[in-house]
Amino acid sequence: MRLDTMAQVIRSKNAGPCLLTFDLMLPDEATFAYVGARIATLRQKVALAYGRSENEVAVLAYAPALAVKITLPRDIVSGDVGDRDVYGAQQHAPLLDMDL
Amino acid sequence: MTAIARLLDDFARRRRPLRSLGASGQLGYGIPTPAFEAGLGRAPDMIGVDMGSIDIGPNYLGSGKLAPTRGGAKRDLRKVLNAARRLDIPLIVGSAGSAGARPHLDQTLAIIREIAAEDGLRFRMGVVAADVSPGVVKQALRAGRVRPMDTMPPLTEADVDATSNLVGQLGLEAFRRALEADVDVVALGRACDTGIFASIPAMLGFPPGIAMHMAKIVECASLCCSPGGRDTILGILDDDGFELESMAPSRAATPASVAAHSLYEQADPFEIREPAGRVDLRDVTYRALDSRRTRVEGARFEPASGLTLKLEGASFLGHRALLLAGVADPRFIARYEEIFAAVTTVVRNLVCEDSPEDYRLGFRLYGVDGVRAWAGAPGQMPREAFVLGECLAPTPERAEEVIRTTKQYLLHHGYEGRLSTAGNLAFPFTPPEVMVGPAYRFNVFHLMEVDDMASLFPVEVETFG
Repeated sequence: MRLDTMAQVIRSKNAGPCLLTFDLMLPDEATFAYVGARIATLRQKVALAYGRSENEVAVLAYAPALAVKITLPRDIVSGDVGDRDVYGAQQHAPLLDMDL
Repeated sequence: MTAIARLLDDFARRRRPLRSLGASGQLGYGIPTPAFEAGLGRAPDMIGVDMGSIDIGPNYLGSGKLAPTRGGAKRDLRKVLNAARRLDIPLIVGSAGSAGARPHLDQTLAIIREIAAEDGLRFRMGVVAADVSPGVVKQALRAGRVRPMDTMPPLTEADVDATSNLVGQLGLEAFRRALEADVDVVALGRACDTGIFASIPAMLGFPPGIAMHMAKIVECASLCCSPGGRDTILGILDDDGFELESMAPSRAATPASVAAHSLYEQADPFEIREPAGRVDLRDVTYRALDSRRTRVEGARFEPASGLTLKLEGASFLGHRALLLAGVADPRFIARYEEIFAAVTTVVRNLVCEDSPEDYRLGFRLYGVDGVRAWAGAPGQMPREAFVLGECLAPTPERAEEVIRTTKQYLLHHGYEGRLSTAGNLAFPFTPPEVMVGPAYRFNVFHLMEVDDMASLFPVEVETFG
């Protein structure tokens, strides 16, 4: 299933100037459990899509908000030469059609 | 009697829940009046406002400019200062001027002085600047007491010397020292947002974990609600937990919306990291009191073994000049990479005839690779695209020379298969070259071990009226 058909929110933002953090907010317990059971696969796919090694990608399930959080390093520190997204708010696009 | 003395005195006579008003998470961008006034009608014990964020990028820290407009900052400060004086309760302002270095703090203090004079306000203000002298950081560096945050490289003395502004994020203890100077108003330079709302609870002996958790939420005003927004929020703290209620009737603090707020701009939703330790949110519970109010319990504070200070510094990169243009020829769009490369060479040969290559020139084609450095070309190229040319050079004159030359040669570059021999670019206006001024980068984002914060960051007191 594609992430954009499963999640209610798919967003990205800086977590400090060096990291990007992504939130997938899921609509119900069942969908949260579905994604939660595939954390390792999700991590693999995110690493591939963002050109990172798996050990640079942190994925964790956050039950209180039925959310999955992904955090990885920015390619360029926020606002440095060549950065294209100072706030990191549009880096979620590669997640939208990701199949899980 | 000052506002903080009056509050401490009241609690000494009768211990009760503490009522904190989070007026704005971004002072200077507007405080909606109806919710703010509603909050003032709920007998708040203090008003807190945060101005800070590192998300706005390195330019403000580097240049010393305010992130909000001066007019916006003055309007909002006037609103909260007058309200706090009217109710005679403490007002706490964190990260003055957003980036929170001396120039930002000074501009914020100048605005406060103007308001005090114009509105005839009487108060005592405690101020703590957040600037760290390069000498102190270099000494710590030599002693092996500085380490990188996240993916930053190790700090060097050259980095420290290159910063145009260098600050440390003040913690709860700095807010507390300012309050203990017996004041009505507190204004700090760069500071942890939690200190705004957790410092008075610390003085009153509330459990630090719960207080910091509440502080982390109310500093964003009603962002933790559904729908989230910038309206004022009321946080009511007791010894076992806290209750949240937006002062805008359309916004509801629900268990799900409050829990989700822990995700926002944080790498780890299970903890809040502070200079004095960490708050563990693993066992937190969220319970609806009614459809618009949520009660939160269970945060635990774990003190750190030593004090650390998060350093933020920005250094000058060069002067930035831009070229703004559109393209609609599919032949250009298909070959944009080779066109940009060829024009870069043409420009270099012209502007470096009698000068060194002392600048950086780059292009992005919005519609194709403006937002991300995608791996591979898109399945289908766009009908139109936007060209952003960017030059960084040591002087404004050099940046302008390079970008104007670039504009001319990109306009007339003869690429293979070209049909549009009168010009390659659509300019939305003239001049299409824009000089945007000095540019900066974050070159310091590190943790420094500190023994004594008070000697590094003394409190200054100023009296009005």
